[in-house]
Amino acid sequence: MSEQANQLQSTESVQNYSKITVQVRDVSYTYGNGSAQRQVLTANDLNLYAGEIVVMTGPSGSGKTTLLTLIGALRAIQGGSIHVMGQSLGGLSSKQRQQLRKNIGFIFQDHNLFESMTARKTLELAMQLFRERYNSEEKKALPIEMLENLGLGERIESLPGNLSTGQKQRVAIGRALINNPRLILADEPTAALDKGSGEKVMQLLRQRADENQATILIVTHDQRILGTADRIIEMMDGRII
Amino acid sequence: MLLGTGTRILLHHKLRFTVAGSAIAVAVTIMFAEMGFFFGILDSQTNITGLVNGDLVVMHRNRTHLNKWNSLDRIRLQQIQALSGVKEVLPIYKGGIAFTNPDTGKTTRIIGFAFKPDAMPFKLGQSEFAVRQLKQSHTVLFDRESRAIYGDIKSGQQIELDGIQYRVGGFISMGPNIVNDGAVIMSDGNWFRDRRSNKPVMGIVRLADNPNVEHIKQNIKKIFNGELLVFTPDDLRQRELHYTIKAAPIGIIFGVGMLAGLVIGISICYQVLFTTISDNTRQYATLKAMGFSNFYLTKIILEQALLLSLFGFGLGILISSQLYGIIGSQTALIMQLTSPRSIFILLLTCCMCIFAGLLAMRKVTKMEPAELF
Repeated sequence: MSEQANQLQSTESVQNYSKITVQVRDVSYTYGNGSAQRQVLTANDLNLYAGEIVVMTGPSGSGKTTLLTLIGALRAIQGGSIHVMGQSLGGLSSKQRQQLRKNIGFIFQDHNLFESMTARKTLELAMQLFRERYNSEEKKALPIEMLENLGLGERIESLPGNLSTGQKQRVAIGRALINNPRLILADEPTAALDKGSGEKVMQLLRQRADENQATILIVTHDQRILGTADRIIEMMDGRII
Repeated sequence: MLLGTGTRILLHHKLRFTVAGSAIAVAVTIMFAEMGFFFGILDSQTNITGLVNGDLVVMHRNRTHLNKWNSLDRIRLQQIQALSGVKEVLPIYKGGIAFTNPDTGKTTRIIGFAFKPDAMPFKLGQSEFAVRQLKQSHTVLFDRESRAIYGDIKSGQQIELDGIQYRVGGFISMGPNIVNDGAVIMSDGNWFRDRRSNKPVMGIVRLADNPNVEHIKQNIKKIFNGELLVFTPDDLRQRELHYTIKAAPIGIIFGVGMLAGLVIGISICYQVLFTTISDNTRQYATLKAMGFSNFYLTKIILEQALLLSLFGFGLGILISSQLYGIIGSQTALIMQLTSPRSIFILLLTCCMCIFAGLLAMRKVTKMEPAELF
């Protein structure tokens, strides 16, 4: 076992193991085949705990996005193991990974909102993932409540075309949070936002981590948000350093 | 909720939706037109079988279809009349007659039918007055559904048939087909007086009360085996349909036309859905990343396909109903937009768009949400 993993085991003895949301062990990943093969991750270990915001930084090509997509069950694991919310991702079928992803909130650099759907409809669509979880009153009330919490109370019925970039990103965050995921994975969530909007987004994520004990992993180059993080992880040449 | 997602995506670009729906309406109209011609010809060819006012039809064995005129000996019809259960047998005379258009003076062939006026072996929508007229010398009833080449014929008008003057005593409704442009009917007395063939082309058999049609039909077959064909009107219609579809062969001709409409529709619908998917690639990939299944996304795409098909069909059937009216009046073919035929085209349109949707869906199925990062 690597020195990095030993350190992690030591940390686990201090923290309650049951609060580990993500456990990454000896994870490696390679793109391409034959002479075009390129190793992007090498023997990485990482624990993410409930209620913490972890910011992952590093130069482009260092492997942080690949690690994020592996944790998010968007790719199949090649080497090592990853447990997410107690479930091993190793050997999961595409269908099983899709089922697992329902419990993860994704925030992308681009908002990726349907231009034809209002803010409310966007959140209602996300709630379709757990339609049996909500009664009809909740189905109506929760999107409105969420948008009001996001400061979009006046924009509930607005289409993306009528929203600013910051407002669109907040709708996208609302979409990621509406089903109360225990794990939130965000890729450059503030990159396209001005300082004020970026701070507001981070406040929302902080609130979600504190109040709902959500685990939040953010990949970013944005130095402005480092202060919000509980931990900062740096990656270099496919390794967490 | 789901019902609205695909609809909202598609309707967001209203102009594009309208153009796409109109293009599908063109494909629908092509299919309606091809089907209209197909059934128009079939219905016109077999129309006379539905007009038979009797239980059985007897014809010469060589008369493989109704536009062949093999005649039979009158004695055979008299022999059939003598059979048990037969009430009467009405000989029908038929022949081509030179008709001179009273407006243009141009001579064209018209089909002449003759029979005993009181017997009325066909249901031709004629009035009692017209039947009385039919008994008059040098008087005919003119088929008001004949093509326009015969001119604007009016009741009481003098017309020239085979160079002989006749008076139009009234009208009947028979309808032309792809071989014949129009018809006149006259009494057998007028027919014979002008030295036309005295051999009938068919006999209409009427049976006594409570007849066992099948038994008498088999009996006639047995007695005149090899010389006569005997049908119920419905049997005759089926034989004529079969001949027209297989031997003509309009089934293949219009089937290919319908297929062309279907392929055009699939291409248009596929292109529209593919463009809509391409416009929302990242959005669909996001849904996949969130955990929505391919099945769920397929339902969104198919909802759009269905919406396009319903819009295209609605517009297409409106255009087609107008087109049927124009074609019907121009060709005098029976162009009927019946419910079963409309439902058939609706189903074909839905299948067409769903197939196109499933083709376009491959793009969504192949999407890798990891590429969003």
